[in-house]
Amino acid sequence: MMASVTQDATSSRPRPPGPSGWFTIPAPLARLFKKFPLLTYPPNELPARSPGTTHVATLYVFISDKDALEGLPSYNPSCLRWQTYLRLAGVAFLVLPSSNHASPTGALPFLLPPTRPNDPKSPLPIPSSKLEQYGIDHGLDNGISKLPELSSARLEAYESLLDHRIRNAWLYHLYLCPSHSALLVRLYVAPVSKSQAVRTTVLYQLRRAAESEILKSTGRLVIDPEAIYNGAREAFGALEAELGNKPWFFGSSQPGLFDATVFSYTHLLSDKGSGWEDLRLTHILDEFPGLNMHTLRISQKCWPPS
Amino acid sequence: MAGNVSSGGDDAFESLLKKETASVEQRAAAERAQAHDTQSDQRMMEMLSHNQTLPVTLSSVQIHGAKHTRRSFLDPLFQPLVEDSRNANYTLSDMLDQVGGAVEKLQRFDIFHPQIVFHLSRPSHLDPSSSPTDLDVSLRVREKSRLLLKTGTDLGNTEGSAYGSMLLRNVFGGAESLSLSASTGTRTRSAYSAEFGTPIGSNPNLRLSIDGLASSTHKPWASHEEVLKGGGLKLNWASASGDRFQLGYGGMWRQLTGLAPGASPTVRGDAGDSVKSAISYLFQRDRRDNPMLPQSGYMIKTVTEIAGWGLLGGDVGFSKSEIEVSGAVPVSIPGLRGPSGVSVGGGFRAGLLYPLPLSYGMGGAAPSRLNDRFTLGGPTDVRGFSLGGLGPRDGADALGGDVFAAGSVNMLIPLPRAGPDSPFRLQLFANGGRLVAMRNKTKSNDTASGQLMGAGTVWDGMVSATKDMGTGLPSIAAGFGLVYAHPVARFELNFSLPLATRLGEESRKGLQVGVGINFL
Repeated sequence: MMASVTQDATSSRPRPPGPSGWFTIPAPLARLFKKFPLLTYPPNELPARSPGTTHVATLYVFISDKDALEGLPSYNPSCLRWQTYLRLAGVAFLVLPSSNHASPTGALPFLLPPTRPNDPKSPLPIPSSKLEQYGIDHGLDNGISKLPELSSARLEAYESLLDHRIRNAWLYHLYLCPSHSALLVRLYVAPVSKSQAVRTTVLYQLRRAAESEILKSTGRLVIDPEAIYNGAREAFGALEAELGNKPWFFGSSQPGLFDATVFSYTHLLSDKGSGWEDLRLTHILDEFPGLNMHTLRISQKCWPPS
Repeated sequence: MAGNVSSGGDDAFESLLKKETASVEQRAAAERAQAHDTQSDQRMMEMLSHNQTLPVTLSSVQIHGAKHTRRSFLDPLFQPLVEDSRNANYTLSDMLDQVGGAVEKLQRFDIFHPQIVFHLSRPSHLDPSSSPTDLDVSLRVREKSRLLLKTGTDLGNTEGSAYGSMLLRNVFGGAESLSLSASTGTRTRSAYSAEFGTPIGSNPNLRLSIDGLASSTHKPWASHEEVLKGGGLKLNWASASGDRFQLGYGGMWRQLTGLAPGASPTVRGDAGDSVKSAISYLFQRDRRDNPMLPQSGYMIKTVTEIAGWGLLGGDVGFSKSEIEVSGAVPVSIPGLRGPSGVSVGGGFRAGLLYPLPLSYGMGGAAPSRLNDRFTLGGPTDVRGFSLGGLGPRDGADALGGDVFAAGSVNMLIPLPRAGPDSPFRLQLFANGGRLVAMRNKTKSNDTASGQLMGAGTVWDGMVSATKDMGTGLPSIAAGFGLVYAHPVARFELNFSLPLATRLGEESRKGLQVGVGINFL
């Protein structure tokens, strides 16, 4: 009994709703407490770096400050996937440059719903795993296709192409390919810190993480770049075959999450501004004109040229 | 064996020397008088005091028992003694003073046990080089254990922790120390630190140290965890009057991570990495009779830090200054003899964080980050508020501020039956403070976090933040409680009520427990 009582007391302790954390206050004391504080001034103003109240949702992604202001595509495939999906769904949101440390899951992106003024509680972040539902709930009615009829086994097969073969090629191409060192530093290392020691450490950690991801995915002991690039070619080929002459994958009338996922890689590989030094993966993608047309269609839908 | 002096010296001195050795235990002044209650010792003291003006010369100083201590470390301490004693009007009292001073210095290195035994003897007169006034000094020291291992639990400022530490004394025979420690606690998830320190020029008042730290601390008032990795170099010195100075450089890699689910957008915006590279200067003058329970005296402490400016580099640029003043005066009660134990004390703290451009400032200065700003409130500073309870808040998170001032007045009264010598006191207090953040008036509503401000904007922001401090009363709480001053920490149990607050500030009504070393 004692144990349960103390547990209740401690569990009620963190951030009690009122200023007092005590369980039961004798009535005269409660009356006294209610009179205090005698004076309450308006709240303190927030520091300069605070975003303050926002009226639209904010998607936290890897992006440069300048691109974020203009709402341009993120340079990170997982972030671009959800950024594209939410745009396709017609959700109004801002993008903000951020780091994995800010995310509830430890990885970007995540979405922070709009804040209500003078709310004592901050809005809870929406991790990427719940963004699909968010897009359906908060987007325009016919913005996005939900692919209800598609057999899940078939979808999973195509998703695994993206999650393994294409992702492995992406990881190798950007993180481990020596000619992209400068690009990797510019995108993921330089924003972390100006300190050289920290940059060296972060670069090393990023490369080790990418290496172990690839090895885990391929199930081999060493990385074979040739096999990785060939795997990507086969995967793009399979996607091209599925797309055929249809505008969107799986013959749906509107682009969906799968289209956004494919786009997140194909756009970054084919975009001239991406800064690739080694064009191997870009050239592989160029072998598949259907995918390129698909990339253009999504790009025009989400980021129409002004 | 006995000194058979044929010429010079008076009888008393001869008889002193016939005793061959005079042993004087060097201890704290108070103990010194008490320690020698045997008659012979008293006679010795008398003889020494009667011969204070006796001209002497020092022929040698011997130190026994310092097995692990370098000669090159001890030489600078004792060489001047031997040299000074060549002066024409060098007397016994000069010598005793100087030896006493050197012994006191030895004790302050913390490598010997405090009991240092001091012998005076005449050199053998068979030695043709000895002169009649020659004396030999020998000191017997006992080295402290060179390795000290400790485990225990600690109660610090509002946190409990368990620790293990290792101290290596006298590493290279020159009073160098190496300490390694690891701890884990309620707020500090883990902390590992190492420090190597060495006195410079065998001077116990001048010490250089180099340290490293890796820690992870939970900061629930702002819904995050801060991971630190870094190190620094510090030069400590002290004046003869006990004022303490420190000049240091520190480089620290900070990660704001492990955010709580309900973390506010401001905390999310500041999450991630930053490097602080800063030089700091500290001055402390402590003239209080008892730091845990001051009855009289005062204390001043100032800390100034400059980060990121000029060649310092790193990711954050600012100057941060803080001053702390406190004091107490005893109150005598008419009709009561001796100290009443009643005292009235006060404390004041203020600080200012001023954004500076990084390096030589091409792009302007960035506004302060969460982990650089001041926090205020809690049982050990502004009582009656929760930890970080004062200042701006985003949702439930205390964001800290760039300018603050806080003050307190308190009265300590001994418990009716315990008297003034007991470590318990009743306390009446009132304290208050203001913590204000600089805001950027020109900022646009969207992604402002990366924006830099020109010098004029920073100045305007600072001026308006300082003006903000004066609007209305500060946030105030008052109450009473019980104080227990343990030699290691001070414990307080207070009942308090807030009198004035800002909306959103987290005040505490009722009881609050404070454990700490440094109270406002």
